[in-house]
Amino acid sequence: MIQGISFVFWLIAVPFCIGLTPAHFLSEKRRNPGVALLAGYLLMWAVFEVIAVPAIVWIQYDNFAFVLRWFMVASILLAILGIVVFYLDGRAKNDHFEKPLLFYLQPPKPGLDVKIEWGLFIALVGFQLYMAVTRASFDGDDAYYVVESLMAQQSGAMYRNLPYTGRSAVLDTRHALAAFPMWIAFVAVKADLHATIVSHVIMPLVLIPLSYLVYYEIGKTLFSSAKEKTPVFMIVMGMLQMFGNVSIYTNETFFLTRTWQGKSVVGSFVIPMLFLLLLWIFEEEKSERERESGAWIMLVCLHLSAGMCSSISVFLLVLLLAIMAFCFMMTEWDIMVPIKLGLTCIPSAAYVLLYLILIR
Amino acid sequence: MWGIFLESVVIFKNYVGYHQYRFLFVFYLFFLVYLWLTEKERRIRAALIYAPTLLLICFFCPLFRKAFVALLNDAETYYRLLWLLQMSIVIAYGMVKLCGRYRKTGLVIMCVGIIACGSFVYRSEHITKAENWYHLPEEAIEVAELIDPEQGRVMALVPADLVYYIRQYSTRINMPYGREMLIARWDYYHDLYEAMEEAEVIQTASFVEIVRSHECDYVILRKDRETEEPLSDYGFALYAQTKNYLIYQDMERGKIVDAV
Repeated sequence: MIQGISFVFWLIAVPFCIGLTPAHFLSEKRRNPGVALLAGYLLMWAVFEVIAVPAIVWIQYDNFAFVLRWFMVASILLAILGIVVFYLDGRAKNDHFEKPLLFYLQPPKPGLDVKIEWGLFIALVGFQLYMAVTRASFDGDDAYYVVESLMAQQSGAMYRNLPYTGRSAVLDTRHALAAFPMWIAFVAVKADLHATIVSHVIMPLVLIPLSYLVYYEIGKTLFSSAKEKTPVFMIVMGMLQMFGNVSIYTNETFFLTRTWQGKSVVGSFVIPMLFLLLLWIFEEEKSERERESGAWIMLVCLHLSAGMCSSISVFLLVLLLAIMAFCFMMTEWDIMVPIKLGLTCIPSAAYVLLYLILIR
Repeated sequence: MWGIFLESVVIFKNYVGYHQYRFLFVFYLFFLVYLWLTEKERRIRAALIYAPTLLLICFFCPLFRKAFVALLNDAETYYRLLWLLQMSIVIAYGMVKLCGRYRKTGLVIMCVGIIACGSFVYRSEHITKAENWYHLPEEAIEVAELIDPEQGRVMALVPADLVYYIRQYSTRINMPYGREMLIARWDYYHDLYEAMEEAEVIQTASFVEIVRSHECDYVILRKDRETEEPLSDYGFALYAQTKNYLIYQDMERGKIVDAV
């Protein structure tokens, strides 16, 4: 019971409250609880990366205790900040605070067929979650990533021992800068549950819906003028995830068989998130664009989240962003596009610089 | 250059399951072309048409591949560039757009197409019914529990089929070698692995010598693993057993530690 509360607190309540701040800087039509949760995860992971990497690199002993303490403090403070922003936002725009503007939940009145389509999609996701809990997926990389989480939980050390054998080792720079397993360890410690169970059972229950939330927002954005098409888009997305196991390499295969690994999060959350943010930023209606500063904040956090998931993903993200910047520059006829998007890459540049310094 | 291009073609074919007669990528290429011809909105053209097309060109470009491998010092992960295409999003968007008002009929046809051309992930040989909340084999947990120390650490030599799992249960159990020995292409060498796994019959005398040089407290053997002489002749005691494994404890090791 207490474990359940702890999971809800650290995996839903805290990121949601953290996300209220960046969500405040989004245009009103974008704001909804799901977007606040997505923004919260991005900001939370970015903060985790900023706290964890120095601890991994520069603190020799008991470095996980440092991360546990300071990440907890930082997330609670950010969550409180989010609540304050939400409260002030509501008061500023609505004296009686009856309808905080964050949640312009304009309940759509879908027809029966749309309701059935949503039902089908929810059933698909429910099935995937059921399978994630009741089926074990073997992957050799777990001997590295899951054991890293478990070592942090059981011995309080981050990346100071070889996960395969337990022997002491020099810092493995490539993996050490991607602190995703340490975040899982953080959640495991807070819930007092074995990190392997958290990885294999709890993480899919969170990360699968989180990815679908990104796809949902993409669908909503793509079909902004024909919302009834969104559930069909989501059903096809759900089917493609389940039947996308055409090889062991596809991001769909990673999504459902290695959900808890950072590289899977890259393919199914970080990269789609970049698509979503760019679709928001380059909104067709130019007058709306000025109100999307929250999307820029999320984009900066996305770079740090990518670094937290896997070191190669920083390269992938920057490459995709560069190509996108070129494409948007051509469609917008605006030379400032690559400059603005390039500036968001500063965290990734810092990450690469640190990596290069460490491997010298 | 032509050779590098062909390598990229092989990577692409492996990625999309071409050799397993999986043709979801045909859907992708079809809808990409369809969107090229029909999509009007600029931001969607940029994100879902131009960028993926440029990425595909980069992926097959030999110079780009050379730069990628040189920069990351890693040729194995080149396939991950294809993650950037986000094929699912393009397929789903193109399909819904193509179906227009006939979305229900389109959905049915599309689902049938996906089932026919794709591969159901839960039929994968890597997925089995979970035996416990850890999602580890029950017997691996049983073995790990038997040797897991309350304090400190132990060193245990385990057979290859347990190597992946033991430390996912307890990191207080160290191992002389781990998963790195099981990946042939990584090409590691370990004398104990040779003695434990490569020998047809374990040569007990030399095996014990190597085991002791690696300070192993426990040796776990499959019940059907042949040994030239029983380990009990060399100062090992049968500590416990499970359905498929025998767990030996090195009784000499305690003495050595005491003497130190």
